[in-house]
Amino acid sequence: MTTVSHDAPAPQAVSMRRILPPVVTGQEIVLLAVLAVLWVLLGIFTPAFLTPGSIGPLLVQVAPIALIGVGMTFVIITAGIDVSVAGMIMVSAVVTARVLVGYDVPAIAAVALAIVIGAALGAINGVLIAYGRVHPIIITFGTSNLFLWLGLRVFDSSTVNGIPGTLEFFGRGAAGSTLGVPHSFAIAVVAVAVAWWFLRYAKAGRNLYAIGGNQHAARLAGIKVQPRLVWVYLTTGALAGLAACMIIATGTSTLDQSVGAGKELQVIAAVVIGGTSILGGRGSVVGTLLGAILVQTVVSGVTQLGWPTQLGFLFVGIFILIAVGTDLIRERARRRA
Amino acid sequence: MKISRKITGALALSAAAAVVLAGCTSRNEPGQSAAPGASEGAGAGAEDITIAFVPKLQGIPYFEAMNTGGQQAAEELGFEWLYQGPTTADAAAQADIVRSFIQQGVDVLFVAPNDPNSMAPLLEEAQAAGIHVATTDTDAPDSVREVFVSQASVEGIGQQLTDSLLEAMGGSGKYAIVSCGETAANLNAWIEVQEEYTASEYPDAEIVDIVYAGEDQAMATQMATDLMNSHPDLTGLVGECTSSAPGVAQAVEDADRIGEVFTVGLGTPQSMLPYLESGASSASILWDVEALGYLTGWAGVQLANEGDLGDTSSLENEALSEVEYDEETGVLLLGPPTVFTAENAGDYDY
Repeated sequence: MTTVSHDAPAPQAVSMRRILPPVVTGQEIVLLAVLAVLWVLLGIFTPAFLTPGSIGPLLVQVAPIALIGVGMTFVIITAGIDVSVAGMIMVSAVVTARVLVGYDVPAIAAVALAIVIGAALGAINGVLIAYGRVHPIIITFGTSNLFLWLGLRVFDSSTVNGIPGTLEFFGRGAAGSTLGVPHSFAIAVVAVAVAWWFLRYAKAGRNLYAIGGNQHAARLAGIKVQPRLVWVYLTTGALAGLAACMIIATGTSTLDQSVGAGKELQVIAAVVIGGTSILGGRGSVVGTLLGAILVQTVVSGVTQLGWPTQLGFLFVGIFILIAVGTDLIRERARRRA
Repeated sequence: MKISRKITGALALSAAAAVVLAGCTSRNEPGQSAAPGASEGAGAGAEDITIAFVPKLQGIPYFEAMNTGGQQAAEELGFEWLYQGPTTADAAAQADIVRSFIQQGVDVLFVAPNDPNSMAPLLEEAQAAGIHVATTDTDAPDSVREVFVSQASVEGIGQQLTDSLLEAMGGSGKYAIVSCGETAANLNAWIEVQEEYTASEYPDAEIVDIVYAGEDQAMATQMATDLMNSHPDLTGLVGECTSSAPGVAQAVEDADRIGEVFTVGLGTPQSMLPYLESGASSASILWDVEALGYLTGWAGVQLANEGDLGDTSSLENEALSEVEYDEETGVLLLGPPTVFTAENAGDYDY
């Protein structure tokens, strides 16, 4: 008896360690290796791929995708999806841009505004999905159209011209980097680090995996599924709002209605290539960051090699299919075991 | 469960209502003049000519500027101007609007067809109903259209882009083109002229690459950055459409290479103004879009009155001093493209 009670905490600690996935998963190692090989090859076969003037802008371009990718990874881990990202970016960006043009606001106020707008739109998604119990792809497809309508109303048939350089802190220019590190990319890396810790060690983060694995079982286990889902979509919206500021900063002084278009698919591509299972229950934000860098490396690499632009689509498509394919094979192996 | 289903239903209903309302408001607001049955001429009274224009897409700055020009012509020349287009660049939706104008029995019908081939039989239908049919902005060459109001010739655009860029580059050097849609016929036609004209007129200049960024400004900027990196001796960039023209200029500004790499592009004056002022863009080549709308209205009046399109003496608008009519092809040309620079770009409000 005494020995058992003495040993009791020990097996618990062991099992706790066992249920946590390894710090770096297989997919992340593969991605790192692919990236390393590509960067070395591009360094050899192009004149300037590995120079600060090339890598810097590449990372700036990656930042908004990786940032929204953090939220999207949460969403996909809960077996959901959010295809309204483009709409949320458009609304946040056009309102923020109009405010920047019309009023002399400091950067911090503009960023706060964009985040609040994105969070509000994300909360609409979250509430509809958590309490409406309709599949997230249908809900966010619907809200996506509503958001696009809303954004176009704010555009009011004209572009937003003469956007001042208030947000240049996030931009490609000299004001956008410190010691060669672009601020926007640094922010994305911090977001990824926080999210990595959250998913691994926080109870609320672990709950997301449980919800994605089996929502019904998670509810029976006492997890407050609905508030968690609202929170996850709200976070995605807030991050889309922050990303909208980066998109304004990296764009031109004119904002037109194409802002955000196609971003939802770029984000989902980064998440899927990063090894997050589209079926839910598994995924990593580090993989998403690497996936986003890989996609932009391919697109920039194709341009810098002087190859036809369309090859970028071919390669990204192959990466997505390989990532999903290996995930499904792994899933089948697990079911059989 | 029941309650949540009710809530879902209510949400679905309100969402549907929102969509319907959205459709209504966005359709009514810009096209107030398109109320059916309003056949009475607005002000002038003497002439009861109704001229309808169906753009590719309603609500984008380009066609709104054309609409502004058309309205101005209606006021000055005394006719009723109707303007309605689809909310997406969709050939079927556009066909429905054309049909409704045929039913209304307008006098003249102008179309900027999304799909020239599928529009041709409809134009025939309109003509059979006694309507004068014509195209503007985009032609339907194999149709019964009486005239095509053209913004600029393919040669005019391609040559002006090349001349403006090479003037900035000093007549020689390597340059690259950042285009948009890979299958956009007008962009590809201009690029073809640029290639031929560069080869024949500027033997010391060379186009090193042509890339396609879609309608995505940030992608255009990134690709321009990549091109500057992969071709260190690159001294010129062309932004082939209204999203990539400011995009390539932004890339030059971000890379801090103003004065080393020169850019030109097809950009709207307002979007190009900051870059023209900073020197990141040397010139923007486009046409006066409002003047194109005005010319469309004028051509409509000529068609309705069976007037002579070649007699442009009644055109008093200064922007229309170089209009040319080619009787053989039925093309009414606005004139050579407009070159926007830091000096004149601020005069336009689109």
